[in-house]
Amino acid sequence: MFNFRKRVTATVAGITLAAIALAGCAGGSSSGTAKAGEGTLTIGTIVASSTFAVKDAPWANESPYLQAVYDSLLHLDPDGTVKPWLATEWSYNDSKTVLTMKLRDDVRFTDGTKFDASVAAENLLRFRDGTSPQKAYLATLTDAKAVDPTTLQLTLSAPNPALLSFLAQNPGLQESPKHFGAADEKTDPVGSGPYILDKTATVVGSKYVFTKNKDYWAPEQQHYAKLVMNVYSTPTAVLNAIKGRQINGAPLTDNSVIDEIKGAGFTVNGQQLNFFGLLLFDREGKMAPALGDVRVRQAINYAFDREAMLKAVGKGYGDVTSSIFSPDSSGYDPAMDSYYTYNPDKAKQLLKEAGYAPGEITLTQPQSAAFSPATYALVKQYLGDVGIKVTYVSVASSGFLADLLAAKYPSTIMQLQAAPTTWQTLALDLLPNAGWNPYHVADPTVAELAKTIQSGSDADATAAAKQLNKHIVEQAWFAPWYRPQQTYATDANTTVKTQTGNAYPYLWNFAPKN
Amino acid sequence: MLSFIARRVVSGLVMVVAISVIAYMLLYAGGGDIARQLLGQDATAETVAQKAHELGLDQPLVVQFGRWVAGVVHGDFGASWFTSQPVTDAILSRLAVTLSLVLGATLLVAVVSTALGVLAATRGGGVIDGIVQVVSLVGTAIPNFLIALGLVLVFAINLGWFTPTGYVQATDSVPGWIGSITLPVIALSLGGIAAVTQQIRGSMLDSLRQDYVRTLQSRGISARSVIFKHVLRNAAGPALAVLGVHFVGLLGGAVIIEQVFAIPGIGQVAVTATSQGDIPLVMGLVIATGIIVVLLNLVVDLAQGWLNPKVRLS
Repeated sequence: MFNFRKRVTATVAGITLAAIALAGCAGGSSSGTAKAGEGTLTIGTIVASSTFAVKDAPWANESPYLQAVYDSLLHLDPDGTVKPWLATEWSYNDSKTVLTMKLRDDVRFTDGTKFDASVAAENLLRFRDGTSPQKAYLATLTDAKAVDPTTLQLTLSAPNPALLSFLAQNPGLQESPKHFGAADEKTDPVGSGPYILDKTATVVGSKYVFTKNKDYWAPEQQHYAKLVMNVYSTPTAVLNAIKGRQINGAPLTDNSVIDEIKGAGFTVNGQQLNFFGLLLFDREGKMAPALGDVRVRQAINYAFDREAMLKAVGKGYGDVTSSIFSPDSSGYDPAMDSYYTYNPDKAKQLLKEAGYAPGEITLTQPQSAAFSPATYALVKQYLGDVGIKVTYVSVASSGFLADLLAAKYPSTIMQLQAAPTTWQTLALDLLPNAGWNPYHVADPTVAELAKTIQSGSDADATAAAKQLNKHIVEQAWFAPWYRPQQTYATDANTTVKTQTGNAYPYLWNFAPKN
Repeated sequence: MLSFIARRVVSGLVMVVAISVIAYMLLYAGGGDIARQLLGQDATAETVAQKAHELGLDQPLVVQFGRWVAGVVHGDFGASWFTSQPVTDAILSRLAVTLSLVLGATLLVAVVSTALGVLAATRGGGVIDGIVQVVSLVGTAIPNFLIALGLVLVFAINLGWFTPTGYVQATDSVPGWIGSITLPVIALSLGGIAAVTQQIRGSMLDSLRQDYVRTLQSRGISARSVIFKHVLRNAAGPALAVLGVHFVGLLGGAVIIEQVFAIPGIGQVAVTATSQGDIPLVMGLVIATGIIVVLLNLVVDLAQGWLNPKVRLS
């Protein structure tokens, strides 16, 4: 009766073909082979830039944005070795409380302002007083001043063994003083770095575009003419971008897709930045009295089959360990990785020696969406097998961290940074005022070793760091299972060197392969 | 007519205000420790407290809400806590992206549903009708994110016809723009096509049974003219209402689709901002979306009146 079906079909087919043809014209966004200093580097990131105001800026996931536009006083090699950058020389006084740095005199910010020691001092003090998550890195900085235009002097209330490393990260970034307090300081950076934010091409929160700073004082560090940083909020979007060859590099949040990534012709660059396991906060037994007994904490360590945990939860990517110390840290000791082996009988024996009958100990832990249900089930099973009951309290993801740090739970499943320096491990996890020591447990051995690590000679500090690692493992302050592999994928056109202690390779360590 | 429009606008504004108050309370109640979320696990308690003070999060709810309202009254919606971008800029820069998806999808739904609905109704009970019915059922049953993933896998990754992620501004490249929205628009549309096709089919079948159709046919008026000038016009009213509701649904659907395709639209930022507890940005989105819905309902009401004088009179 009504014959317009052919017309409809033809119209739909025509529109589809036109769309495909037009899409084909659009092409991809990833650069092909390019000579050094030319072409575009397109990388994926998992968080947007929260601020370009250096005084409030975080590091880690946001380091690529900041390194594009700002220089730092020092640089770090991929292995963590400190190298000169804006500061060319440096020296400490005998008590390691005064650091004097010689600065370059040929650096200008992109607004024309000259970089000098007074600018550097101002930036440091501003960072100390700002709200960066890492502001504690400069907590011991009592003063920073310019001795002359190229000589900067930092005075500390106490030695800070990791200070030089910190000055190569966000505390050492240099922002133009003319931009301090500007209305657009957080979104429109003015630095002296290798690239300039292209505000027109940038979609804040989704895509950040940087063009080469033509007046940059170290052009050999500009390996590309343009940088594009795409923010991917889901692992699926990252995977699709990789498979579609839209990006040159990206971090993976899920190692189970590694085979697919390799299949797409990408190289998998692995490193270990964190440890995963149980944090046994209540070492004095204030909330859970049983945890105050070292034998109970050791029993918990013997209760886990770490290889099985790595296989089941970490998909086999990583290394088992009983220690929270990073292989990059001076305190690392390979023997500590295998200190506790799977031995449920020994765990039961230790619990018996501590005076606890099977089922007598109950640990209450928070459960959030941060970790898989399988992980919680395995913990319950392994501890249940040796006679420790675990009950979970469901906690919203938004309140999970706050609850942990407010000492609301005696222990928890958690993944934390295995810090690249022993001093950071002390400051983050072990000292009484460390954030991840929420019960503020003070241990005389830790205090004594910390003193040596802080103020001793390099050799003494290294020996003390290893002793500290052994002490913490023996005392079973934690029950780590493994150090998961952090994966950064790069395409066939790009070379990269991963960075010790950072999930993102530093920008100057990306380069075109040819 | 003017008083009708004025009444709808005023009631719409009341609705937007009510939604804003409720949304603020819900965000406040479920926000957790936002300063801690902002600064991450390494920040000290002192730094977290300093950040909370800087953002005014240490103030009572009434004070925080009052400050926000005062800002809005002066046209200042604040800045995102997690990207520092002014809320107005964040929304305006993304609105065009989402609207291009939603309007494209609405257009596709309208055209394809009309074609399929008419085809099915005029072949009532036949094979074509059966196929359309089955396709509609399948289109309704499969979630749009699964459709999106399938489209990416086949047409972007395996065949390489489209880019799997990202968005190209039309001002930068029209072919690039079309290429970047084609798959998302198709993924967004399929559910709507299924629903609206069924609506048009049903309405058409009802209309085709009316006496006036037989009268028109007996006068020798062509079948095409009967269908498109008379039957379809009568059937369009209910379909338009469904399409209007679906447009609002598409705004919700864009939330997922923009995530899958990494498209910088309202939906993507809504998910991120809500999960982070970015109150200024979420509140801006609530108001923007509320205004869009109010305006859309007004447009649908006016269109209904244009199509059907009986509605106008009532």
